[in-house]
Amino acid sequence: MRRPLLLILWLFADYFAFLASFALAYFMRVGWIFSTDLPFTHFMSTVALSGLPWLVMLISSRTFGLTRNQRTLRNMIVIVYAAVGGAALVTLTYFFLFQKIFSRMLVLEGAVLCVLATCLAHAAMGYLMRVFLRRGTPVFPTLVIGVTRETRALLHLLRERRSPLVPVAILDAVGVKDTEIEGVPVIGKLNKLEETLADRSITHVIQCSDLEQSINLLSACRARGITYMLLPSVLGIVERDERVESLEGKAVTVVSPEGRWWNLFFR
Amino acid sequence: MHAFILAGGFATRLWPLTEKRAKPLLPLAGKPIITHLVEKIPSGIPITVSTNAAMQDGFKRWLDDVQKSPVGVGSLSRALPRGERPLPIKLVVEGTTKDDHKLGALGSIAQWVETEKIEDDLLILTGDNYLGFSLEEFLKAFTGNPLLAAHDVGDLERAKSFGVVTLKSQGSPLPASAQRALGEGSGEGVLAFSEKPKDPTSTLVSTGCVVIPKNVLPVLRDYAKVKPDNLGGIFEELLRKNIPVDCFTFSGHWMDIGSFHSYLDAHRELVGEQALVDPTASVKDTEMRGSVTVGKNCVIERSELVDCMVFDGVTIRDCTLRDCVIDDGCALQGIDLQKQMLRTGTKLIVH
Repeated sequence: MRRPLLLILWLFADYFAFLASFALAYFMRVGWIFSTDLPFTHFMSTVALSGLPWLVMLISSRTFGLTRNQRTLRNMIVIVYAAVGGAALVTLTYFFLFQKIFSRMLVLEGAVLCVLATCLAHAAMGYLMRVFLRRGTPVFPTLVIGVTRETRALLHLLRERRSPLVPVAILDAVGVKDTEIEGVPVIGKLNKLEETLADRSITHVIQCSDLEQSINLLSACRARGITYMLLPSVLGIVERDERVESLEGKAVTVVSPEGRWWNLFFR
Repeated sequence: MHAFILAGGFATRLWPLTEKRAKPLLPLAGKPIITHLVEKIPSGIPITVSTNAAMQDGFKRWLDDVQKSPVGVGSLSRALPRGERPLPIKLVVEGTTKDDHKLGALGSIAQWVETEKIEDDLLILTGDNYLGFSLEEFLKAFTGNPLLAAHDVGDLERAKSFGVVTLKSQGSPLPASAQRALGEGSGEGVLAFSEKPKDPTSTLVSTGCVVIPKNVLPVLRDYAKVKPDNLGGIFEELLRKNIPVDCFTFSGHWMDIGSFHSYLDAHRELVGEQALVDPTASVKDTEMRGSVTVGKNCVIERSELVDCMVFDGVTIRDCTLRDCVIDDGCALQGIDLQKQMLRTGTKLIVH
C-alpha cells in the first residue's frame, strides 16, 4: 500500500503546487489584495478546474513512473511542457467561463512559478518515495540474474541513487565464487528461480547476462506478474546512449551516431 | 567388482532441462546419457545407481524402461550365458531433495558401502560423463591398485576445472604435446594428483571413471567424512598415504556434460552430421542441418533446425532454430531462436 498512498500524496502535492503557483502569480500581478476586476474566487476556481487536465498531462508523460528519475533534463522538459499547457488551459477556461481575458504577465508568471513549484514537488516527492519504498521490507524486491561487470555497476547505481527497486538476491546461470555483490547475496543458480521468486515476493527481475534460459526467465515472470527488465549490455550494447523507441509501432533499441545536439529531436 | 554410478547431482547449470529430470537421464543421441554408460559396463558386474529423493521417480521409470526393453541393457544381457538373466540394476536413494543438502559424491559412496556392507572392488562412474573407451579395456589395466581413467584435454586452462594427473613416467611436468603422445590404454603409475589446481602442470585430467579396490575402502570412508563432495580428492589422499595409484590414459571421446554448451557439443560429437528422427515424429517441409534429434510424437513443419535437440511431444511450425534444446511438450510457431533451452511446456506462438 505504500506506493499507492505515496502516489496519491504526490498527485495532491502537484495539484497544490499548481494552485499555489497561480495564486502567487495573482497576488504578484494584482498586489496583495482581492481585485474586483479579476475576482480571486473566479480566478482560483478556473485554476482548480484547469489543474485536473494539467495533472492528466503530467501522468500521461509517465513522470510519476516508478523507475523515472526526477532529477533529469528530460523530466524537467516534461514539466515545462505541462506548465505551458496548464497556463493555456487556465486562460482558455477563464475565457469560456467568464468571457474575459486577463493579464498576459499573470499567465506567464503563473507558468514559470508552476514549473518551479512542480520541479520542487517532484524532487521532494521523488526523494520521499525512494526513502519510504526502501524502508524496512522493500516494496519492490528485485532479483538480479547474472553476475557480470554490468551487474556490479548496476547494483552500485541502484544503491547510490536509492532506487525504489531494491535488489534482494542474485542468481547466476553458471555459479560464481562471490557470495555477495554490493551487499546483495548471490544465492545460487537458476534452478532456484521459482523458489526465489515466490519466497522473496519478487516484483522485478533484471537480466544482466546472456542466458540460454532467457525465454524461461521471461515466461516465469509473465506467469507470476513480475516485471522483467534486460540490460542492453546483454546484447553487447554498451554505448550508454541507447534508447528504446518505436519503429512502425514495434519497440526497438536504438543507438544512433553522434551528431549535433539538435539531432536529438529529429533523428 | 561392483559398479556404482553417481547420479545424485541436481544439475543446476542445466536448468530448466533438469528441473524434473536428473542430468544422466537427459537424452543424448536417442537414449539417456546413463544408458550409454551402463551399456559399456561389462556383463556380470552388478550395477548400483545412486540418486537423490527429488529425482528418484525418473530413475525408477528409466529402470522400468531398460528392464522392459527386449535387449535389456545392451551388454548386460548380450554377454551373459544363455538362459541367465541380466543382473539387476539397483537404485539407492539419498534422502536429499535440495542441492544444498546433498551428501556429495564420496559421501554417497561411503554411505552405500557402509549400509550395504560392501566388501568388493568398486568401479565408480559419474553418471553425466560419456566415455568413448571400452570399460573392459579399462578394467584390464586394474592390477589391484586404485585406478583412474585420464584424458588429455590439451589445454592447461581447461585442465583447471578437473583433477589433474601427473604420471610417474613424466617425472616432471611435460608439455601438452608430449602428453598427447601417451598411448591409449597405457596403465601407468600416478606421481601426483591435484583437484582443480590454479596452476595445472599437466593437461591430463581424471574423467570420473575410477576403480577403488576393496582394501582402500576404509580410506575412502574416512576421507568422505572430511571431504564428502571431493571425488578426485580421494586420489590426493591415497598418494599422501603412499598408496600407489595407477592411471589408464585414453585418447577417444570423453564428454563431461555439465553445461548447455557441453551438452550440445556432446550431441554434435555423437550424432554427427545427421538427423535422428523418432519414427513417431512427423516432419514436413523442414530442413535439418548439423546434428539434429527429434523425439517421440513431435510435429515439425515448414521449419529449419540446425544443431538442435527436440525432446518428446514438441510442435514446431514456421520456425528457425539454431543450437537449441527444446524440452517436452513445447509449442513454437513463427519464431526464430538461437542458443536457447526451453522449459517443458513452453508456448511461443507468434501469429
